[in-house]
Amino acid sequence: MSEARVSDGGAPAAVEQAAITFRWDLDKTYLRTQFESLRQMVKIPFEAASDKVHLPGVPQVIQGLRRCALARAQRPFVFFLSASPPQIGNAIREKLELDGIEYDGIIFKDQLRNLVRGRWRSLREQIGYKLGELLESRERGPAAPREILFGDDWESDPLIYSVYADVLAGRLDAGAVGDLLRTLEVERGAIARVSRAVEALESHSEVVQRIYINLEKRTPPGRFHAFGPRLVPAFNYFQTGASLFELGLIDDAALTTIANALVEEASYSGDRLRNSLDDLVRRGHLRPSSRTRIIRILQAAAIAGPAPHEAMLRARLRAAFERLQARWRRGTPAEQLPELDYAQILRDWTGREV
Amino acid sequence: MPRIAVDAMGGDFAPEEIVRGVAQASLESDIQMVLVGSADKIQALLDAGPYNPELISVRHCSSAIGMAEDPREALRAKRDASITVAARMVAAGEADAMVSAGNTGACVLAAAKNFKLIRGVKKAALASVFPRQTEYPGQDTLGLLLDVGATIRCDAIELTQFAVMGSAYARRISKVASPRVGLLNMGSEESKGGDVLVEAHRRMKSLPAINFVGNIEGNDVATGKADVIVTEGLLGNVVLKLIEGIGEIAATLATHAAQENWRWRLGMAMMSSGISRMRDLTDFRTYGGAPILGFESLCIKVHGRSTAPAIRNAIKVAAKAVRDRISPEIAETLASIR
Repeated sequence: MSEARVSDGGAPAAVEQAAITFRWDLDKTYLRTQFESLRQMVKIPFEAASDKVHLPGVPQVIQGLRRCALARAQRPFVFFLSASPPQIGNAIREKLELDGIEYDGIIFKDQLRNLVRGRWRSLREQIGYKLGELLESRERGPAAPREILFGDDWESDPLIYSVYADVLAGRLDAGAVGDLLRTLEVERGAIARVSRAVEALESHSEVVQRIYINLEKRTPPGRFHAFGPRLVPAFNYFQTGASLFELGLIDDAALTTIANALVEEASYSGDRLRNSLDDLVRRGHLRPSSRTRIIRILQAAAIAGPAPHEAMLRARLRAAFERLQARWRRGTPAEQLPELDYAQILRDWTGREV
Repeated sequence: MPRIAVDAMGGDFAPEEIVRGVAQASLESDIQMVLVGSADKIQALLDAGPYNPELISVRHCSSAIGMAEDPREALRAKRDASITVAARMVAAGEADAMVSAGNTGACVLAAAKNFKLIRGVKKAALASVFPRQTEYPGQDTLGLLLDVGATIRCDAIELTQFAVMGSAYARRISKVASPRVGLLNMGSEESKGGDVLVEAHRRMKSLPAINFVGNIEGNDVATGKADVIVTEGLLGNVVLKLIEGIGEIAATLATHAAQENWRWRLGMAMMSSGISRMRDLTDFRTYGGAPILGFESLCIKVHGRSTAPAIRNAIKVAAKAVRDRISPEIAETLASIR
């Protein structure tokens, strides 16, 4: 029995080799949706597009990713996957239009159907639903050789995205995924749907390059260590932008636009942006040399002032040391991806044993 | 927005409680903070809890001064110690003030070595807040005592300058329009206490810039008769430790009494909220530290046994002191009486 879903947007069936897919969660990742209380949840269906608030910098990240992919002669695909009901779809689509977001598909969870059919567990269940949708979405196409995923720390995005990435890479087979989902007490229909989609995969490769988790709930970043360096917990979209810049997925202009959006929409200062970068470096998600380049971009755009002399000298020394290291060790941190210990992740995050 | 340098490696519970305090402050305020210490240790601690990275930067340094080390020797041997680096950052204008829970002697010496004394100030004074009775609604429940250890002996001019500095600080931080200043002495009469205290009394009495209420005896320290109590470092330190000790003894006695027999246990249970309130009142962890006054730059010294809430409060006090221009106000007041 498949999960109820409603989708729109045309995805081309043909696989484009020079393509890149960006998959986005909506609530708490793109939109600052408040559903912490019953009152806030009741309000959501009655919100107009103009009532909906996006997180600072997020439209600029999507626009930058699209523009830069096209500039590299890559076909960008942007998909949204939401666990919200399709009844709020019009407001969401209008909001995306207001923000100038071009996208290729958006999927909502048909909660009304679940409700009518008395599938109570399906109303709350996220993992089976989202994992199934991700795999089927890839099956439907496009099966781009590179994917970047964006989620948040509110529910289970880190786990869902990591499992999805490891399934595509061939590190998890249908049996292993089934065991994980059974441990998480996902309903049988959803497990069967996921297993079928996993078995239907014709080839495996390292498709998912990065998973960005917006720390909307301010979950301590140390909690995500178990997910490996492929997953980048980010406190704001400037951090996400900085990491994407290092990967070569956005350019100077896009990064400047993101930084400006944070300054204008959320009163960020040069100090705040600089601190955000340094935090990313200390956590091992950005190289000091990239940090130096980004600071120069911010300075050129008059967003950040000059760094104190001593700090600048230290940053240059670090960057030089890093260049020396790079002669022996090639590749960004995420390329040396260790195998994830899902039994440990499940213990840490859900207290369940596989 | 003020930028506060925080000595991450100083204190009995450093760096854990210091980093936690900074993380808490980052979620509750918009103060920019620089954690000074071992970058790897700091980041590992930040990673373990919620924080706002936009307000926190880290200045790496390789050494720290222990609580039991000789301050002078340690400062000489460890030029890259966190407390020295924090003081240097303030002196260089990279931070507006510093907070440390580390070795008190090293903190005072690091400030003395790196900060300039306000023009005309002979000696800096280490202040401390202490719990006291209030005489009217809305009165601050904390009094200010200075000096508590930056000096040993002082002359009359130095004590008078402490009075001016303490008054300016209390006016800004406690929001008392005209703080009452008392001179700690062995009697209330003007002639008591020897030449230095008699001369200090005469000078303070003649100063229109402060609201001098005369001599304060030991039994009046905690009664709320004065908002600022001035004394030399040796005596001030003894008084401060005595107040802390009384609070701890009261808590120990209450615990002991509760274990004695069921009647006492019942009595203690009935008084538990009162005891808890008393413990809160005498708990140095809630004060948020006190300043070293007399320098152009500001240093807030926090109790060595401080935990995260005290560090968080100290950072807020430091930011408020910077915003309220405490040091310039002291300089202006001193200039006006010269």
